Amino acid sequence: MRHQDTYSSLFWTAIGAGSFYEGCRLGRGDLHNPGPGFIFFWMGLIMIGLSLSILLRDVPRKPTAGERTSVWSGIHWVKIIAVLISLLLYAYFFTTLGFLLSATILLVFLFKAVEPQRWSVAILGAVSSALIAYLVFYVWLGSQLPRGFLELG
Amino acid sequence: MDLLHYIGIGFSVALQPVNLFYCFLGVFIGTLIGVLPGIGPVGAMSLLLPATFKSSPEAGIIMLAGIYYGAMYGGSTTSILVNIPGEAASVVTCLDGYQMARKGRAGPALGMAAFGSFIAGTLSIMGLMLLAPPLSKLALKFGPPEYFTLMILGLTILIYLAHGSITKALLMAAFGIVLGAIGMDEIASTPRMTLGRMELLDGVGLVPIVMGLFGISEVFLNIERRIRRDIFQAKIKGLLPTAKDWRDSRGALARGSLMGFFLGILPGGGGVIASFVSYAVEKRVSKHPERFGQGAIEGVAGPESANNAATGGAFIPLMTLGIPPNVVMAMLLGAFMVHGIQPGPMMMKQNPGIFWGVISSMYIGNIILLILNLPLIGMWVQILKVPYKILFPLILLFCLIGVYTVSNAVFDIYIMIAFGVVGYLMKKFEYEGAPLVLAFVLGPLFEVNLRKSLILSHGDFSIFVTRPISACSLIIAVLLLLSPLIPALSKKREAIAKEETS
Repeated sequence: MRHQDTYSSLFWTAIGAGSFYEGCRLGRGDLHNPGPGFIFFWMGLIMIGLSLSILLRDVPRKPTAGERTSVWSGIHWVKIIAVLISLLLYAYFFTTLGFLLSATILLVFLFKAVEPQRWSVAILGAVSSALIAYLVFYVWLGSQLPRGFLELG
Repeated sequence: MDLLHYIGIGFSVALQPVNLFYCFLGVFIGTLIGVLPGIGPVGAMSLLLPATFKSSPEAGIIMLAGIYYGAMYGGSTTSILVNIPGEAASVVTCLDGYQMARKGRAGPALGMAAFGSFIAGTLSIMGLMLLAPPLSKLALKFGPPEYFTLMILGLTILIYLAHGSITKALLMAAFGIVLGAIGMDEIASTPRMTLGRMELLDGVGLVPIVMGLFGISEVFLNIERRIRRDIFQAKIKGLLPTAKDWRDSRGALARGSLMGFFLGILPGGGGVIASFVSYAVEKRVSKHPERFGQGAIEGVAGPESANNAATGGAFIPLMTLGIPPNVVMAMLLGAFMVHGIQPGPMMMKQNPGIFWGVISSMYIGNIILLILNLPLIGMWVQILKVPYKILFPLILLFCLIGVYTVSNAVFDIYIMIAFGVVGYLMKKFEYEGAPLVLAFVLGPLFEVNLRKSLILSHGDFSIFVTRPISACSLIIAVLLLLSPLIPALSKKREAIAKEETS
């Protein structure tokens, strides 16, 4: 991608600025008695310096032959976004639905959405995987997993 | 005599049936995840960390250590049969291993990888046993300035050995330190950067960061394009290498073991660097370097022995100084802490059973791995045939379970997803995750030791250069950071990075 480092360095500059601000807010102290914001202050400054040096090196140069082909070309964005949204929804409904139900729904979706398989494979695979995971982690290892409104498990 | 006595203690712990079971479980899972592309030892260890809560500390650590060195064994199988490395340390094994398989010599390649791993793994454990006690004694003399400069050195080596830009690696290390500092300040008891969230008072968890950066992001990378895997179809026979194979490989095995062990001690070194260095050395010392890349057995024996020897070496800084040299060891440090054990110079005295038990279990684990990897190779090949479209939902599910069961907090699932996206973008923009994670783990120690040193010296920075150990560490760190300015060294580093990337 043309000047891909420019965008990433701007992002890291912002993160560094956030750390620097937090360092100032918490109080950096002095060398005799460093305060709670000491590390944020200095690391923020270092991050700003480093990301600006990446930026300054990237802006004036001409993109190489490889960079002219975008690293984003040919990507199945829909798949990535679908997986991402499904993970966020899983997290959001996890305690309400409980582990067994939310895991089964998530797996059915993932088996169907990315590289679609037959419904029978998706449902059977999802139910059996969720059940096995439940037996291993909840029953055998005694991990705490939410039971949800249906009190499953 | 002392050493023999401690080895006796170690084996009495390692040979307890429950510990044997955990050792078997660890190396089995390690081989499995080594075989399966898409989930590495770090992800598997994060996932199984909660499983160790109910076990004794030694059983838990034995299992997690088994996953680490088991993955090194398993990784070679995919490299040889599919030309896709199961994990990063087996990348270089693809070059000659896959060519051997194509020429009908998959059996000897797999056999040599297993035997080489066994020999090197065993030798490195011996090295660990011999070097750990004197280093522990030396580490007792370390104060805050020594620890601080040692961490500076560790991070510098890691950054120096990073694949791409040093500036980007430094940036990641600084970000890792910031992340590690989030939470309650140990010295002033002030909440820092918690954004008003109670969950962040204890800081950001290691497991959600690691699983996001190495697990979720890997899934995103794999599903963004359709992957085709050509599995070597012919029947695998004759796993035992011939006498000529042994003659050709003996030098590579010895050099790989030695280099791997010492490179494993270096922060950021580990199995990946060890295997690449070993391959480069074997190619250079060979009378027929043109055979490399065409199916030379030394090209399998050297890197495979080096990456396994590195696992033993990597335990040294963790066990003797309490400083993890790589991300896997950082996970292991987390596991020790969960069980209330602080690795470091006092560990050998305070917890000899765990210290020597874990080391001794690695001998046993190596024998189990040899048995698992030779007669059961057919089973691993079958597992390789599981398509990724079936595998990735299960990897995601395991990540989600693993991250939740560590803290029982949904908030950590969101953190993991966020780092999954960050990790994906980092790979796209060529930023490395390893400096970030290691700096994150070392961050709190780094900060506390820096602040303690400054308080001790009344703000005088000369405390770091007037004490011999810290002065030495700083000098080496500065030389490494300045080395890119020396054209010859810079070119060498770039060559290594280019070879690794390709």
